[in-house]
Amino acid sequence: MIPKDRKLYFALLAPTLLVLLVFIAAPITQSIIFSFHRIIVGLPQLQSPFIGFDNYQELLHDSVARHSFWVTLLFVSTTTFSELLVGLLLALLIHHRFPGRGSLRACVLIPWAIPTVVSAQMWRFLFNDAYGMINYAIFGHGVAHYVPWLAKPNTALFAIILADIWKTSSFAALLILAGLQIIPEELYQAAKVDGAGVWRRFWHVTWPLIRPAVLVALLFRTIDAFRVFDLAFVMTQGGPADATNVLQLYGYKKMFVEGWMGYGSAISVSVFVIVLVLAVVYVRMVGRRLLEASL
Amino acid sequence: MILLASVSLSLPARAAEPQTIAFLMWKPNQPQVWERLIERFHQTHPNIRVQVQIGPHSSTEFHAIVTQRLRNKDTSVDVFLMDVIWPAEFASAGWAMDLTSRFSKKKQKAFLPATIAANTYHGRIYGVPYYLDAGLFYYRKDLLQKYEFDPPKSWHDMLAQGKAILKGEADPTLHIYSAQFKQYEGLVCDMLEFIWSHGGRIIDQDTRKVLVAEPASIQAVTFVRDQIIGKAAPRGAVNYEEPESLELFIQGKAVFHRNWPYAWTVANDPEKSKVAGSVGVGALPAFAGHGPAAALGGWQFGISRWSKHVKEAWVFVEFMTSFDSQKILAIEAGLAPTRVAVYNDPTVQDKKSHLKDFLPAFKRARPRPVSPLYPMISQELQRFFSRAISDSQTDVQALAEATSAKIERVVQMEAAIRR
Repeated sequence: MIPKDRKLYFALLAPTLLVLLVFIAAPITQSIIFSFHRIIVGLPQLQSPFIGFDNYQELLHDSVARHSFWVTLLFVSTTTFSELLVGLLLALLIHHRFPGRGSLRACVLIPWAIPTVVSAQMWRFLFNDAYGMINYAIFGHGVAHYVPWLAKPNTALFAIILADIWKTSSFAALLILAGLQIIPEELYQAAKVDGAGVWRRFWHVTWPLIRPAVLVALLFRTIDAFRVFDLAFVMTQGGPADATNVLQLYGYKKMFVEGWMGYGSAISVSVFVIVLVLAVVYVRMVGRRLLEASL
Repeated sequence: MILLASVSLSLPARAAEPQTIAFLMWKPNQPQVWERLIERFHQTHPNIRVQVQIGPHSSTEFHAIVTQRLRNKDTSVDVFLMDVIWPAEFASAGWAMDLTSRFSKKKQKAFLPATIAANTYHGRIYGVPYYLDAGLFYYRKDLLQKYEFDPPKSWHDMLAQGKAILKGEADPTLHIYSAQFKQYEGLVCDMLEFIWSHGGRIIDQDTRKVLVAEPASIQAVTFVRDQIIGKAAPRGAVNYEEPESLELFIQGKAVFHRNWPYAWTVANDPEKSKVAGSVGVGALPAFAGHGPAAALGGWQFGISRWSKHVKEAWVFVEFMTSFDSQKILAIEAGLAPTRVAVYNDPTVQDKKSHLKDFLPAFKRARPRPVSPLYPMISQELQRFFSRAISDSQTDVQALAEATSAKIERVVQMEAAIRR
């Protein structure tokens, strides 16, 4: 590369790098630094002594954190799996040519376009035990059978999972739809000529070709699901009995409610590390598949 | 021009320019009342100007703003509002000025005792109470009359009356009791009222001993789990905050209801409430052999340690918390005064007749554990209470002991700082 090109190269990259530095690298570094200190907002006399890995050590022995980890893991696995499944079905549906397809495609995106806080509030009303639509839809006027969804530990987590599936399946559908659209029509015609039925065409033509897109959706959804916060914050505040106390919410409470900045940072950094490891694994996996697919 | 002229005209008359003090408060619901009070202050104190700075309405966000400015030793704040659970934190951190010499014991006597206790940390006082909130007991006057009951004095009476009323009304959607049992700050208030009215406590204020796992507390928690949740109150109450629980009551679906003073206005508004006009209010019930209790809320004035105008700031705080100002606040904004004398004022009794019904409950009000690390204690309590009441199989004793140990740790952290 000749020097003049290099200059232009960096000049063009500079804005992006600057934004990444200010809005991503700086806060992450700050959190990592915080997590090695004892910082308690209510006790400024403490100053903020460096305490090495003490916060992390404590985190390992924190039974509430461990419980939060399992809750988060359950949330991530069920939502990701269901969202990919629903997303795939949606994508296959809106890929078909039929009258009104354009408006249906737009409709599918609505849940994803609504801010999570708003849709969480909506789901909270829907799941209300006394005047929620969900109880009314299932039991009608049989008030005695009404289920207090958000008041029972198991159903509360289920409610949040359902709200997330409703909200983000369309995102998975969008990614998979993009994968569907690059499959040449001739492949299907050839398969038809060879006598393949709908099922075989799906397994032998569609599925192998959309697999990279599904993997990309999987990557995005897993990482995003690990950071779940707003749904639990609005719908249950982590309750009842910590049943929906996902890791990010626990970290938030430690930091901003209890003022335990160092410990809360250690929780967020741990989530960051989990997500980072997942991302690296996925990207390697997906990267290879993508290469194979394009060959 | 007129403003400039008036300033220059007044200058020769007064040797000093008017001192400006900055007052940091949240966005009020009735700004015109606050404006009127400050206008009055300007008229009566021409040599002090109050510059009002408005912060966010939510207590948590306002806390973030105030603490940030005080932590940075910002001299541009002289007077600020404090939520009832902050004085210990502000005192321990050295942000709020010690007002003991100005706010004498004699002056303190005019205020409701709980509001003074909430502003006192290790024997010194750091805030002047402005108005208060406390847990109140609302009931359906019409239903109690129909079945010839007096408002219940004990929790067990409440259950017995409720059962009789439910049987008579034969309405499957009617419940005995509605309150706030979601895992949040309100849960601590509601559960403390049960524990206090059973003779239990969380922390002994003098010895700093943690008493969560004592029998008095555990029995009260077990009572709520076994008799209230899913029985007297709908199970859904485990996810209720104030609005949902009030909704049940104003829809006529609960005989008894626990809420803050604001619920009075809503419950008697015919546009919002189906039970307007048939609502009674008083102190919460207690367990046999114990007195009722109410969790204290409300706001106080504090003066910044970094203020350069302490004298003027104190004059302003004294004015705002005076008998006359609290009277205006009570009549025009409907907020509950911290000075007992205001309740006996004829104009107040005439215009806000329900305030005197609140007084017995206010006199029994108690602050939540006073500690600079209260938020940590609260989180542990929320966890304990929510776990205990959500599952009838929980071992409350074991849970209480684990919680006790965790709160013990917080108390020790706090003590280590004082050493």
